[in-house]
Amino acid sequence: MKKKALAIAAAACAAAMLLSGCGSSSNNNASAESNIITVNGCEPAKPLVPSNTVETCGGDPISEMFSNLVRFDDKGNAQNEVAESITANDDMTQYTIKLKDWKFSDGTTVKAENFTKAWSWAANAKNAQLGSSFFNVIKGYDDLQKSGLKGDEQLSGLKVVDDKTFTVDLNEPSSTFPILVGYAAFAPLADSFFKDPKAFGNKPVTNGPYTFQSWDHNQFIKLLKNKDYKGTATVNNDGLTFKVYTDTEAAYKDVQAGNLDAMDTVAQSAIKTFKTDSSVQAVESAGSVLQYFIFPADMQYFAQGDKAGLLRRQAISMAVNRQQIIDKIGNGTNTPAVDFTAPVIPGYSDSLKGNEYLKYNKEKAKAAWDEANKISPIPSDYVFKISYNADGGGKDTYDAIANSIKNTLGINAEATPIPTFSEFNNTIEKRQIKNAFRQAWQPDYPSPDSYLKSLYSSGAADGNGSNNGDYKNAKFDSLLSQAASAKTTDEANKYFQQAEEQLLADMPSVPLWYANAKGVAAKGVKNFKMNWQNVPIYEELSKK
Amino acid sequence: MGRYLLRRILQVIPVVLGTTLLIYALVFALPGDPVTAMFGGKPVNQAVAAQIRAEYNLDKPFIVQWLIFLKNSLTFDFGNTFAGQPVIDVVGRAFPVTIKLGLMAFVFEGIFGVIFGIISGLNKGKWYDTVILVLSLLLISVPTFVTGFVMQYFFGVKWHILPVTVSANPGFLDLLMPAMVLGSVSMASIIRLSRTEITSNIAEDYVRTARAKGMSNSSVTVRHILRNSLIPVVTYLGADLGALMGGAMISERIFNIQGVGNTLYQAILRGEGTLVVSIVTIMVLIFVVCSLFVDLLYAVLDPRIRYA
Repeated sequence: MKKKALAIAAAACAAAMLLSGCGSSSNNNASAESNIITVNGCEPAKPLVPSNTVETCGGDPISEMFSNLVRFDDKGNAQNEVAESITANDDMTQYTIKLKDWKFSDGTTVKAENFTKAWSWAANAKNAQLGSSFFNVIKGYDDLQKSGLKGDEQLSGLKVVDDKTFTVDLNEPSSTFPILVGYAAFAPLADSFFKDPKAFGNKPVTNGPYTFQSWDHNQFIKLLKNKDYKGTATVNNDGLTFKVYTDTEAAYKDVQAGNLDAMDTVAQSAIKTFKTDSSVQAVESAGSVLQYFIFPADMQYFAQGDKAGLLRRQAISMAVNRQQIIDKIGNGTNTPAVDFTAPVIPGYSDSLKGNEYLKYNKEKAKAAWDEANKISPIPSDYVFKISYNADGGGKDTYDAIANSIKNTLGINAEATPIPTFSEFNNTIEKRQIKNAFRQAWQPDYPSPDSYLKSLYSSGAADGNGSNNGDYKNAKFDSLLSQAASAKTTDEANKYFQQAEEQLLADMPSVPLWYANAKGVAAKGVKNFKMNWQNVPIYEELSKK
Repeated sequence: MGRYLLRRILQVIPVVLGTTLLIYALVFALPGDPVTAMFGGKPVNQAVAAQIRAEYNLDKPFIVQWLIFLKNSLTFDFGNTFAGQPVIDVVGRAFPVTIKLGLMAFVFEGIFGVIFGIISGLNKGKWYDTVILVLSLLLISVPTFVTGFVMQYFFGVKWHILPVTVSANPGFLDLLMPAMVLGSVSMASIIRLSRTEITSNIAEDYVRTARAKGMSNSSVTVRHILRNSLIPVVTYLGADLGALMGGAMISERIFNIQGVGNTLYQAILRGEGTLVVSIVTIMVLIFVVCSLFVDLLYAVLDPRIRYA
């Protein structure tokens, strides 16, 4: 009897298995009529709150849903968006901001208070926002980092004048503040946010080119065109759907098959072929991500402030045959670096004094190395090491860099991997790497400031920022503050270029190349191009 | 039988305690700090980092973290992921898809594996036995991701017969190709296994005796040869059901299925202890239940096996 019961159970079980597999097949081409654009995305690491989103999975939908005081055009120039005007006082320490008459998607007006309260909430350590440190330029920031806060304390530097006007007091002069406020964390938040931040994160109230429609976790984030939008972005489609992909290979195949309209990157397997692939449209242009490697300021034989050290740093830089490595290993999808920012950033120059140190030159490299050895000899068994994280696919590249140095200078050089990015970052943070190491930088806002101040200023050294080599130079710092007090962006950019020339004279790091922005779109999708952030201009895509 | 069942079920308790502790220790030992990683290369605000550590108990030793997890799981409170979603929701979204995929692969490999195995085994030396032999060797030797990419390219991208990737709430057609890819290697193994068993059982004394008694050919085949040949196949299938759940990751990545494999992989990358432990514990439970089921099924197939 028992045996029979079990057999029946087994049969029932098998039947259930079969049935569970026979659900309804879902429909892929429902949106053939409408002009909804589907692009590749990923599952946001945090709820959709602008100040808590520091990665692209949440960042891309957020920048399409929220409009800040300014919005960046394709070239990275800031245009007034919600701001009617942003005016600085004489010493650039106070800004008066007037707002246009805008509305949130819930119908409420975008008031000055929606900015000041949002910024204070984001800066307040009690609210644990990952983007909080962007507000450290505003007066009162330090008071909001103490313990025992309730979470609703306000930044003392923000004052509401009336519904459409507020003032911002800064800790120090900054000409880049009107650019900084274009960064996603500076978005205004509707009143409903402060009542229930958690609910907001799953269903944000927005004021940008798109409104939020739905978020099906691990599957889709759907946005709809905001019919009342009156900002600077051109919206050519009726909605955007970010479809979650865990692997770019799968996304690329969907573009080839016409199931996905556009993607912001190219699958590794298609790097060599995507430009000639007739089933997709390809885009490739110089991007804003800079790849470089850095010498710790106190690195033995390479120390800052030491003549022999400087000559050796220059020798290493001139020993890296950038173009050859790009052609052989990067499949030509990078552009050799000639400065410390990137070509898509306003203020970039390809004719900085001293940029010959960033070009491959075998004779000069060898001469500089030999001269350094005359001042203070390096042991003949010295091995020049570059550390990199092995999980980012850098092995071939960094082996090639080490070989280039080895062959040019006739010294021992090797690339030393650290298994994961996270472990790599930890060792850097603890200053445990005593040799050169890999770095890459993607700017947060389109200004040289986002590269230079974050990466080389004394204020960002010693663990207080991303100056991981602890380079410190008073002259460089003062050029940055002159740029900060400049009256116009052009004037500021002149000082930034001088600051870059100081970097070329000191060589705290070796810029390698700008990673090209690469992407593909399905046939029939119009207006496919990249913005300064290496992201397709999603709002301009259209299928009509 | 009842006592046996009870004993097997009680065995689950130390297994679950042991695995959760082990997994917690492993996640804790992963190099790198998950909270620093959240800042994604942006400046780390230490006051904020401390808040986040306290919220997820990451500032406590791992034994304490484990005890807190155990205590909370007694009330079915598995905590939140770093993204602020309840772990139970994430698990609840991931498992149905993978179970569907795993069962489809299971049915696929079971049915086709046994059918081809029987054809091969009963017709040893015929031309189609050779063809099946070559094909199954090919499937075993080619890695799953190669089979996956090749099928995806031809059936999906080139000929538009099946969906290239899997959409939300996948149906039968969506999962057909991933399930075939996932089950292909095991199917080939089952073909080999059942073929070998059948060819050796045909030559057994009891088969000759049965024929000598004048039993019909079909009755000899079904009741004597196949029944005895299927015992090792059932063992293999039972163990494989658990392995399919864990091994689904490659299929899930290729066809963009947001199932257990993908979720687990990303949880490990982010160093999310509670999510990793929750997923692995459920997988352990599935494995334990499957192997219990297989052990009980033996008794049905082989009357000599009895459980006291």
